[in-house]
Amino acid sequence: MTSPAAARAAPVPGADWALAFERVSKRYANGVLALDDVSWAIARGARACLLGPNGAGKSTTIRLLQGALQPTHGRVTLLGAEVNGPHYLAARRKTGIVPQEPGMYRDLTTGEYLTLARQLYGRGRDDLARLVDVFGLGEYLDQMLARLSGGYQRRVVLAAALLGEPDLLLLDEPTVGLDPVAAHTVHAYLRSAMEQRTTLLCTHNLAEAEALCEQVVILRAGKVLVQASLEELRAHVHPQLRLAARQGTGPLQAALRQRGLVAEPDDEDDAVLVTVADAARDAPALLRGLLADGLDVYECCAVQVTLESLFLDLVREAGG
Amino acid sequence: MLLSEPVRVLLWKEWREMTRNRGMLLSSTLLPITSMVLAPFSQLYALRSYVGSAPPADLGPIVGMPDGSDPMELLLRFLFPLYVMLAGLLVPSVGSTYTVVGERERRSLELLMILPVRVADILMAKLAAMLLLTGGVLLPLFAIDAVVLLALGIATPGYVGLLLLVLLASIAYSVAVALLLALLARDLRTANYLNGAMLGPLIPVVVAVLGAVPGDWGLVAVSALLLLAGGVALVISLRWLTFERYLA
Repeated sequence: MTSPAAARAAPVPGADWALAFERVSKRYANGVLALDDVSWAIARGARACLLGPNGAGKSTTIRLLQGALQPTHGRVTLLGAEVNGPHYLAARRKTGIVPQEPGMYRDLTTGEYLTLARQLYGRGRDDLARLVDVFGLGEYLDQMLARLSGGYQRRVVLAAALLGEPDLLLLDEPTVGLDPVAAHTVHAYLRSAMEQRTTLLCTHNLAEAEALCEQVVILRAGKVLVQASLEELRAHVHPQLRLAARQGTGPLQAALRQRGLVAEPDDEDDAVLVTVADAARDAPALLRGLLADGLDVYECCAVQVTLESLFLDLVREAGG
Repeated sequence: MLLSEPVRVLLWKEWREMTRNRGMLLSSTLLPITSMVLAPFSQLYALRSYVGSAPPADLGPIVGMPDGSDPMELLLRFLFPLYVMLAGLLVPSVGSTYTVVGERERRSLELLMILPVRVADILMAKLAAMLLLTGGVLLPLFAIDAVVLLALGIATPGYVGLLLLVLLASIAYSVAVALLLALLARDLRTANYLNGAMLGPLIPVVVAVLGAVPGDWGLVAVSALLLLAGGVALVISLRWLTFERYLA
């Protein structure tokens, strides 16, 4: 994969960003440098995922946007307002946040928590009633939050995040810890909630990120490794074909070498991966040639470039 | 209006939670009932039963007190202020352990952080809830003390007023310390240790002050000491308390 350096971006001061980091560093009291002079931004209307290995600075990024942390250097803005500045609270009223596995109140009911959120967002009772209906929370309003199942707890948090009719959604691992059925339900709600809204999704779940977002920001060791759209990232990847023959990988690799192609064994099973200029155009001729050589090719398909493979390649390229 | 709209909304939430927690309610009512009513009144009853009868022959002078000290005077000078102070220190510390440190330990603070509020509003609501609880429990108990002391004619209105000052000063000290605890304690067990460490040493200090300063001025000195210590704790808390430290 070639480096998507051209796709990297730094925020332009004054532009209409939904959120922006301008030369932001964050060093904790224990000396750990979580973010190191990072600059990036998300335009209004974009749906971006924030990826990175553990310790890359994702949680710090979300905490900075929440106003829970102060940057050591630089400037963080949310909907045009500097975090913890005079207009920040107004910006927060237009921002919905879904945190990563929050603790739940044992002595507060679902209805009471949502009422608290409604009052703080300054919304009417009708807005709450509508969301309770949308998220199917009606019969759980009198239950203590801690007694709800994980899936319903996430619905409550999502409902609270949407109470302010937000322009921006910050989602921090919204489905972590959920069983597949609950995660599927929450995904459906997220898809609906993200329509027409700027979204930053912080996740380890690359399939989730790929399904919900068009843009990617990858952090590594406190720096922005890549900021680009998924399409831009895919454009930097050379297409590959996956081939398997009854004779095994050795004869197949030899036949491909004779045609000037470099083939590498697929890590997963008895197949090879070969890089071509255009998978759809080159595959038929190549397949015909291999069959003519007497190889019993039983598999020939274009490799789908997933966000997972892009992410792993980028992180490996960057040395980690 | 004294409290801003977000603080009032958050105060309602704190109050709901506190009044549903039976353990906290029991601790914050039984301890002061013991300290402000049962313990001092049982002492008072014993002393009043003793008045008029001859002291036991082998009862020497009270240790640390001059010969001929009046036991009733000692009760008013030392025990009543200590009991009242302890109640004033204990109730806010129970409340703060539950509402400030407990929220941090349960990680339910995240549910507040995602809403459009400031950390100052969250803490102000918690402090207001603590004060409501403390006032709701302690002021009626103090009223009982005051009525009994005045009705029996063993204390002057001036003394009762100074006793109230001690109570208010100890509440102020305890609330300020509660803020410090929010900074220092990561969990309920640590909070309990720190509460003990911050409240325990006060007892011998206060006894020493009451012994050293004559008459009702001892109560004034104790109140001043508590307000000073509380002020120091408050300044340290306000200088250092940020969401970042609270969440750390």
